[in-house]
Parts: sequence; structure tokens; C-alpha cells
Amino acid sequence: MIAYIVRRVLVAIVITFFVTLVTYLMLHIIAPSPAYTVLGPKATHASVAAFNRAHGFDKPVLVQFWNYFTGLVLHFNWGFSYKLDQSVWSLFKEDFGRSAYLTIAGLVLAILIAIPLGIFQAIRRNSALDYSMTTLNFVLYSMPSFFLGLILIQVFALDLNVFPADVSDNITTWVQALTHVRQMFLPIITLAAINVASFSRYMRSSALDALAQDYIRLARAKGLSERLVLTRHLVRNAILPMITLIGLSVPALIAGNLLIEVLFNIQGLGNLFFIALGNEDYQILLAYTLFGAFLTVIGNLMADIAMTFADPRIRLD
Amino acid sequence: MTDPAAEALVSGFAHADAGQLAPNGLPEGPAEPGTPDGGEVSVVTSGWRLSLREFMSNRLAVIGVAVLVFFILFSFAGPIVDPTNQSLANPALSDNPPTGTHIFGYNDQGFDEVGAMMRGGQTSFEIGALAAAMAIVVGTLYGAVSGLAGGIVDTIMMRIVDVGLSLPYLLVILVLATKFNSNVLEIAGILAAFSWLVPARLVRGEVLTLRERDFVWAARVMGARQSRLVFKHLIPNALSVTIVNVTFLIADSILALAYLGFLGFGLSYPQTSWGDMLANALQYLNSGYWWLVYPVGACLVIVVLAFNLVGDGLRDALDVRLRRR
Repeated sequence: MIAYIVRRVLVAIVITFFVTLVTYLMLHIIAPSPAYTVLGPKATHASVAAFNRAHGFDKPVLVQFWNYFTGLVLHFNWGFSYKLDQSVWSLFKEDFGRSAYLTIAGLVLAILIAIPLGIFQAIRRNSALDYSMTTLNFVLYSMPSFFLGLILIQVFALDLNVFPADVSDNITTWVQALTHVRQMFLPIITLAAINVASFSRYMRSSALDALAQDYIRLARAKGLSERLVLTRHLVRNAILPMITLIGLSVPALIAGNLLIEVLFNIQGLGNLFFIALGNEDYQILLAYTLFGAFLTVIGNLMADIAMTFADPRIRLD
Repeated sequence: MTDPAAEALVSGFAHADAGQLAPNGLPEGPAEPGTPDGGEVSVVTSGWRLSLREFMSNRLAVIGVAVLVFFILFSFAGPIVDPTNQSLANPALSDNPPTGTHIFGYNDQGFDEVGAMMRGGQTSFEIGALAAAMAIVVGTLYGAVSGLAGGIVDTIMMRIVDVGLSLPYLLVILVLATKFNSNVLEIAGILAAFSWLVPARLVRGEVLTLRERDFVWAARVMGARQSRLVFKHLIPNALSVTIVNVTFLIADSILALAYLGFLGFGLSYPQTSWGDMLANALQYLNSGYWWLVYPVGACLVIVVLAFNLVGDGLRDALDVRLRRR
């Protein structure tokens, strides 16, 4: 098992390296140097050349990549936003908490709803309730998160006026985000609802698979109460695939986070990225894309490793 | 050793009288396709026809097809049946509410909203279909080659897919969208550039099991070249995986286009997509111009939903292992 984990971590490190390389090269092809953004479109060739020399943008691209990569690994240097005249890391630090709060709250809420819902649907399969929940899940699954958010804004903010439509500027730290739950309510619900849709579909089919197994029949046959059958035998087996699903949901979470932060005007990483898109601030775009890619790799890695601990059927020699 | 001709004759009789004869009395040898296991004799039905019957019995999937046919007609034939002014801005009609003949009113340009929805539908279907087509062709070929090659080539090709799948899809297409032109072809290309990875992985998995099958070995023994194996044997037999994936790819591409449009990186004016229209309508939420928000949003959700339903139906119909008997 240790050998497997070590090998899996090594693979993840190799993939991380190549992801960084590919992303760097892609961004380099799109925007080789930030000189014109910094100096303005009317900058002379000489001043551009001087800027490039001063900041290392005149070196061969692989050398530039290597400098960026070593800076990232050794000094945790994510680059410098010339547009905002600030290091990318300091910008990240400012916004990270709010994004993490939104995403983790949405994810946890989604899991807490999806697991009981999926199991309930599996037990009462083909009932009217199962059909209506499946339909609702299908609709939510096909719905762009921003459209769902838009409907929620219309209903709860504009018509009923119970929750604010966007998150006000006075939430400057992520601690305040924690205390201003009412403001964060709609964004968190939106993110959770979208995730419930995909999670509970898997949960339902995974619970259906588990229900058909002999150990459930045995548990019932030996006279175990239905409650114990469900909690001890069904749930513990049925939630195993959720580990993988949650690990693989990182890209979807990043996308949902971006769209919802833009819609509700939350000053998080997604919004930072969105503003950087408009500013053509490629240092931020590079750093956040890498950040998302690293989280994706880590999510996959954690899912694989967690599975080896959680599922005793997986024997690795 | 028995005479093959006699054996065929016996087995022929056995088939004809399968109702009376014990099934285990059948002579040895390769069973004919469609040989009943020992029940009544039935007409041999091809796999595709069985799949079609299975699909048609799935009510939701059939509704999905009907919905898609409706929306494709709405988008492409609609402007011919019901031509509206979609080119000359008319400020007098700007944001006018619905009337009897213009059921969803007018947008900020004074264009008929239903007509705009038709135009948005065209680009959504075009980009969805184009992106899915490009992704599936590249993905299928890549997956088939990787699976057939095996060994180190396979490992490297699949690690490349791993790297690509580690890139956050929405972020990467947004970054690319800042530099590319916002027309149908280039947006479809950007979407396809990062959506061929999943079909590649699926097809490769399918090819790994296919390439050990007898018919592939037989083709090899007969001296078939690798390209013939890929195009004549592996890809056709992995087709069910591919077909199912295409519908999901179209749904995902239409959604991705909506995300691009919502964030302001959709098609450039005067072209429009449903996502662009929603982004534009966002500012009118406060004014209560519901006809600019909900009809187009509903189109988007219903079409994506229909593609997902059809995809689910196809998966159930084409997956022999799931087929009900």
C-alpha cells in the first residue's frame, strides 16, 4: 500500500510538472510579454526591448519557464501582476478565504443533502417522489449555474426581498464572510444545488447497486432492524464511490465558483480571474489556471489514496 | 470426426425442432448467431435494431429526441417561416413587452425576441455539433491508436490525456477566448481542443478489451495492417461508446458556450448565442423585463436537458450488458 501511494504521488508530481509546462507554453504563445500592457500600446520598440531584458522576457521560452517553475517551487512565487502592481500571491491571499468559504460551504452542503437524498431515492425507487427528485436533478444538472443563481436572485432578492442580490463591499476579510451568512446564503445555495444534482444521481445508483448485494439480504435475513441495515451496511458501502466523485469534482467546483462569484459580485479568486481576463493580465491568468490545475491533480490523488483506505476490497501489492 | 455437412444438417434440424429437442442435444461447434438457447425460433434481429427498439421504449429519451427536433426546426426553419427584423435596430420598440404576435416582446435593440432566440439557437446548435464532431473524431482516433499500440506509447499518450484533463476546462477556454476571434468556428475549435480528452480515454478503454477478441486476432492473422484494424475493426466496434459520448459532448459544449457568453467572451455582435442573450438580459432583471430572461434561459436548459436524456437513453440502449431481455 505504501509503495502504491508513493508511486501514485510520484505520478502526480510528474503530471504537475507537465501541466505547468503546458500551461506556461500556452500562455506564452497567447501573450509572450506583458510589455505592451505595462508600457501602453504606443511604447517604442526600444523601451519594450528594455522592459523585456529587465524582466527576463527576452530569454528563450524554456529558460523563462524554468525560472518561473523554480521560483514557484522554491519560493512560492506565483508571478507578478504588472497591471495591478502587486505580486500574484498577495492578491491570492486576499481573496483565497472568500472563495474557499463559498466553495467548501457549497460542497459540504451538497454532500449533506445528496447522500441522504440519493439513498432515500434508492430505497423508495420508482415512487412518485423518486421520479420527481430525479426530474428535478436532471433539470438542475442541465442548468447553467448562473441561470439558477439568476432565478434565485429574482425570487429571493427582488420579489421576496429576504436575501441580498449581491455580496456587499463591507465583506473585506473572509472572517466577515463567515459572520455575514445572510449575504453569502444565495451564492452558497446556488453552488450546492448544482452539485447536489450530479452527486445525488451517482448516490442513487450506487445505493441501488448496494441494495442488490447479498450482504444486505443477509443483514435483513438475520433480523437486523431496517435502520441498522441502512446505516451500518448500506450507507457505508454506498458512499464509497462518492469519494472518487468528490475528488474528481474539483474542475466543476472551480468553474461554479467563478460563475457564481461573478454573478453575485463576490471578491474571490474567480472574480480576480474574471477581472484579469478583461485586463489581459496574463500573469494572474497563468497563476490561477495553474492553481486550478494543481487542485485538480491533488483532488484526483486524494480520491485515489482515500479509496485505498476506505475500500478494503482494494488490495495493492 | 463427424462429417461437417451432416453436422450442419443435424444442427439445422435441431434448430427447427428446438421446441422438442433438448437444447443440450445440440451438436458441438460454433453456435450460429441468433441460435435460440432452446426456446421458440425467432427472427434474427440485428444488434442495431435491438438497440433502436430499446431506445424507443425509453419514453424520456424519445421525448428528448422530439424536443431536439423541435428546437432544431425552431432555430433553422423558424426564421424562414416567421421572418422578423433582426438587422436594423429599432429604438422605438426597445424592450417593449410581449404582444399577441410577438409573444416574447422585443430586446434592447428592438429586435423581436423570438427571432433573436432562433438566431441564438442556430449558433448554439452549430457550435455544439461542430465542437462535438471535432472532439469525437480526434478523441476516437487518439484513443484507438493508443489502445492498440499498448506499452510505452500507450502510457505516454494516456499521460498526455491526464495532463490535459488536469487543466481546469472553463479557465483554459476563457484564457484562449481572450485571443481568438469570436466566431462559430474558432469558439468550436477552442471547446473541442479540450473536450477530446474524455472520448479518447473512453475509446482507449474499449479498445483495450476489443483488441484481445478473436475477430481482431483473426484480422491480424490474415495480415491486416494497423490502420485497417483501427478503421475496420476497432473504431466500428467502439462506436456505441462514441455515439453516447457525442450527445454529452454537444450538451457540454452548448453549456460551455453559454458560460463564455455569460462572462462576455461569447460570439461577437451581431452574432448571438443564448448565453450572450442571458448575459445581456442580466441588467434588466431589476426592471422586470422577464421576457428577455426566462424564455431564452428555458431554451438553454430544455435543449441541454434533452441532449442529456437522449444520451442516457442511448447509453442504456447500446450497452449490451445493461440490455433488458
